Amino acid sequence: MNGPTQATALADLQAIRAFAVLTLDGRKWLLPQAEIQALESLLDIDHEVRIPRSIGAVAFAGEWWPVYCLSGELRLLSEPPDSRRACPLLDNGADRFGLVCDQVEALTAAPRLLAPPACMAPPNSPIRALALLGDELGCVTTTEHLAALIAAALENADG
Amino acid sequence: MAESAAWVLALDHQLRAAVGERELVYLIEAPILLDVPRSPPYCRQVLVWNDTVLPAMDLAAWLRGQSTQRQEPLAGVFGYQSRPGADPEYGALLLSAIPTRTRVDDDQVCALPKQPRYWQTLAISCFQQGDQPIPILDLPHIFSGGLL
Repeated sequence: MNGPTQATALADLQAIRAFAVLTLDGRKWLLPQAEIQALESLLDIDHEVRIPRSIGAVAFAGEWWPVYCLSGELRLLSEPPDSRRACPLLDNGADRFGLVCDQVEALTAAPRLLAPPACMAPPNSPIRALALLGDELGCVTTTEHLAALIAAALENADG
Repeated sequence: MAESAAWVLALDHQLRAAVGERELVYLIEAPILLDVPRSPPYCRQVLVWNDTVLPAMDLAAWLRGQSTQRQEPLAGVFGYQSRPGADPEYGALLLSAIPTRTRVDDDQVCALPKQPRYWQTLAISCFQQGDQPIPILDLPHIFSGGLL
């Protein structure tokens, strides 16, 4: 990510007041709360409805939403670990899918977002910012970047 | 003959490198390091310094291609400019010992060590200290994503 582009992306995120924290294998990933359409139970996942690399699908608002499982490092998993307990449905208007998580929380205050160091994240990294959450670190991403990461994983699997 | 001051850094028990006198701005003993997912193996963590996060780079791990075990972790905070006139930026290097100050003459210039390979990616020059070549680090390149 070059300097001006990174600064613009960070400013866009800083304008967002409400974030949700999605915990994956103990790692905290922050998404704009407005992108969480609903919170479903794992029991609502129909494992017979299979979209490539998904673990099933959830019927919501008259549609099937594919559900994916990502590790704490955002690698696609074919089976959810035992720690997964919730399934937020993510929707940014262009991408719609469910993501099984250990935990989903709303942040009560807007976090202070920091640019990820250039030497740690390549331009296409799903990590758009870092946030200090007490003595822990959260990584900020968006539904768009998660969707791109899942699409890239699907392409690689096809190739 | 020009002479300048430098800090010699212990990147691990064996590897040494140097930076300019003004580039080392702070030392943190036993730093609290926070993991960042999806980051490269030689820079898996950040540390909090002056209300911001700095990458904690393990150059020995990058040079050797494997992680480094340190008995008493130490981090140096380094300042650099990505271009002339730019505001200073900061990054951290993981060290194995407290840096030592030295003076360097122009006539100490020497070739980069052949091992480990890839020193030329990290260094802008090198000087001889005793029987050991000490590469001088290119901090803007290292911290601005040049190793990705």
